[in-house]
Amino acid sequence: MRVRAGKVLLCVTTLCCLAFVSLARAEDNPVIPPDEFVYCTVCHGVQMKGNPSIEAPRLSGMDTYYIERQLRSFGNGWRGTHENDTAGMEMRPMAAILSDEQIAAAARYVNAVSSEPPPATVEGDAKRGATLYAPCAACHGPKAEGVEALGGPPLAGLNDWYLVTQLANFIDGTRGSHPDDSYGQQMRAAAGVLADDAAIRDVVSYINTLQRR
Amino acid sequence: MRKELTRRHFLSLVGAAGGSTAILQTSLALGLLPETGPLALADLAPVGHAKKSVLVLGAGVSGLAVAYELERKGFDCTIIEASGRIGGRNLTLRSGDKVDEMGYAQVCEFDDEPHLYFNAGPARIPGHHKLVLHYCREFRIPLETYVNDNRNAYTHDDQAFDGKPVRIREYVTDARGFMSELLYKAVDRNLFDQPLSADDKERMLAFATTYGDLKDMGRYSGSDRAGYESGGFVEHGELKQMHQFTELLKSDFWRYRMHFTEGEDQAMPVMQPVGGMDNIVRAFVRNIRSPIHTNAQVQAIQLRPNGVDVVYNHKGERKKISGDWCFNCIPHHLLAGIYNNFSKAYRETLAAMERGHLLKIGLQMNQRFWERDGIYGGISWTSQPIEQIWYPTHGIHAEKGVMLGAYTFREEHGRFFERMTPEERIRSAIVQGEKIHADYGSYVDCGVSVPWARMNHMMGCNSRWSPDLRDSKFKLMQKPDGRHYIMGDQISYHSGWQEGAFASAHYAMADMNERILAESSGAMAKG
Repeated sequence: MRVRAGKVLLCVTTLCCLAFVSLARAEDNPVIPPDEFVYCTVCHGVQMKGNPSIEAPRLSGMDTYYIERQLRSFGNGWRGTHENDTAGMEMRPMAAILSDEQIAAAARYVNAVSSEPPPATVEGDAKRGATLYAPCAACHGPKAEGVEALGGPPLAGLNDWYLVTQLANFIDGTRGSHPDDSYGQQMRAAAGVLADDAAIRDVVSYINTLQRR
Repeated sequence: MRKELTRRHFLSLVGAAGGSTAILQTSLALGLLPETGPLALADLAPVGHAKKSVLVLGAGVSGLAVAYELERKGFDCTIIEASGRIGGRNLTLRSGDKVDEMGYAQVCEFDDEPHLYFNAGPARIPGHHKLVLHYCREFRIPLETYVNDNRNAYTHDDQAFDGKPVRIREYVTDARGFMSELLYKAVDRNLFDQPLSADDKERMLAFATTYGDLKDMGRYSGSDRAGYESGGFVEHGELKQMHQFTELLKSDFWRYRMHFTEGEDQAMPVMQPVGGMDNIVRAFVRNIRSPIHTNAQVQAIQLRPNGVDVVYNHKGERKKISGDWCFNCIPHHLLAGIYNNFSKAYRETLAAMERGHLLKIGLQMNQRFWERDGIYGGISWTSQPIEQIWYPTHGIHAEKGVMLGAYTFREEHGRFFERMTPEERIRSAIVQGEKIHADYGSYVDCGVSVPWARMNHMMGCNSRWSPDLRDSKFKLMQKPDGRHYIMGDQISYHSGWQEGAFASAHYAMADMNERILAESSGAMAKG
C-alpha cells in the first residue's frame, strides 16, 4: 500500500507541478550545451530530460562512466546495429563520429545537467516487481542507484518506457548479442528471468518507486 | 423496378473501366467538380498604438509568413530559430551547401551552376495552392512550369515485364485499351443490372472506343498512343507490341503511381520558382524587418494568462523573452523535449502524432542522358526503395543536370536508406537506378541525401495523423492554448506542403485578430 500511495502522490505531484517546477528548474540551474552537443538535446530534450515522441530517453545526471561506455558501444556497433533496433540505429551515427575527447566531454555534459524525475507511465504490480528486482540489486544497487564497480548503471531516473523497451531488447537479443559486448551479454542472461511482458512491467513499476535523482 | 442509371453509378462504372482520368474527364463534363475555394488570407486589423509583441518559434515558411504579415500591421515580432538556417524544410541544395544530418554532416558537391540545384524539401506548386502563389506574386518570384508527369518516362516493377522498365506511355495505353474493351463488352451485352437507354448505350460504346482506342467492334489490338517501335516519319511506322494484360496486372504501377497526377495537388501543370524553391525563403528574408535569431534553441515555453514566456539559448547564454502572443511551428515531435505548460490534452495529442520518414536523394549527372532517350521532365516509378526518379525540367540541353534519384513515400523505404551512410545511400540509389537506365552509375558525378527524420532540428517529415486522431483532436490543435498557437503544415490537412503551412499560419493569425478585436471592443464598452 505504501508503494501505491507513493506512486499516486508522485503522479499527482507530476501532473500538478510538472510545468511550473520544471520551467523554474530549467531557468534556475541551466547548463547550456556546448555548440557541438546541442544536437544531443534536439532528441533527448532540454537538459537531456528525455522525449518519448522520438524515443530518446532521459539521461540527465547519468554517470560519466556509463555514458562513455554506451557511446562507445554505439560507436563500435554493439548497440544500434540490430535491424529491430530502430531507435538505436538513429543514435548510432551520432556516437560513431565522436573522438575519445568528445565522448568524455559529452559524458561530462550529460552528467552535469539536471531535470525533474520522469513521470511514471508504466502500470504494473510494483509489489511483485520488488521480488523480481531482488537479483537485479546486486549489479544495479538496492535503490537502483547503480554499482559502478560492477558496471551496473543506475536505473532510477531513467524513463520507465525506456526501461521496458531495453528489457525487451535484451530478452529478444536486439541488445546484448554482440560477442564482444560482455556487459550486454551479462544483462541479456539476467533479463532472461523476466518471463513475460507483465514481469517487465512489474519490475519497472517497482523501479519507479525507488529514489530518483 | 428498374432504376435509372444514376450519375454516381455511371461514374463508378467509368472509373472501373478507365481509372480516375476517365472519372475526372466525365466529372468535368457533368459539372460535378467544385471550384477551388477563395484565398484564405487572414484579414488583419492594424494594432496601431496598442503595439503588441509576437514571438515566432521556428523560421520555417509558416513562421516567416506570420512575421511578415504581423510586422506590417504594427506588431513587434521576434523569430527564434534553433538551426543555423532559415527556411525549415524549404531547402534547396547547391554547390557547397551544408547538409546538417545527425552524425553525417555532408557538403553538397554539385558544380557551381545556376541550374545545378536540388529541392530537397517542397518542389512543386500546384495552381490551387493560392497562398504560396500569392506570396510568389507579391514578392515577384519568377515561376516556371514544372513537368510532373511524362508518358515517356518509365515504370519498373521487379514482379512484372521480367523486371524490365516499360514506358509509361505503353503501360497506360494498354491498360486503358484493355479496360475499355471490357467496358465495351459489358455495355454491348447489357451486363448491367439496369439497362441503359439505346442512346446512352450508343454513347457509352463510343466513349469506350475513344477512351481505349478500340478497333474492330470493341477490340483492343494496340494503339499508336503507345508509340512506334520504328518509323513513323519518313517510313511506315511499326506499332509497339501490346503488353500482356496479366503482366500489366502483376505490376503495382496501377495501384497509385499510374494515377498519381490525377490528384489535384499533383496534376499538371505544376510550377517551381526559377532557380530553386528557396527563392520563397529568400524573398521573405528580404521583406522581413523583424529580428530572426538563428542558432537559438528554445528551452521552455510558458503560457501566462496574458502572454507567453519563452526561454532560449543563444550565443552561449540563456535568454528569456516575453510576448503577448506566440506562433509556434517547432516540429510536434520535438515539443515534448522542451519544457512547456501546455494543457494535458494538447500534450497528449502531440504525443500521439507521428513523424514521417520522407527522404530524397539528389544526383548530379555529368550528361543529361534521359533527354537523348526522349524524356524531358517527369517521373519514372519503380517498386524498389528509391520509388521514383525525377528528371529536371530546368536546364534542358545543358551539359549536366541534377536529378532526383530517390523519393521515398513508404516509411520502410525511408528507413531502408536512413540506416545507411550517405555514401551507401548513393551507391544503393545507383544500383536501383541501373534497373531503369543502363549505365546509370557512369553518369553520376556526386550525390546528396536528405533523410528528413535524421535532419538536425527537424527529425521528421511529414506529420502523420491517424484518422481517429484527426477526427478527435485536429480542431483542438488548431485552436490556441492560451495565447499560443501551434501551426505549420503539421496543423493542416496538407502536411508536407507549403500551402498547408501558410494556410495554418493564416488560420492562426485570423483567430488572434478576432480575439484582439473582441478584447478591444470589450475594453471600449467598459470605458
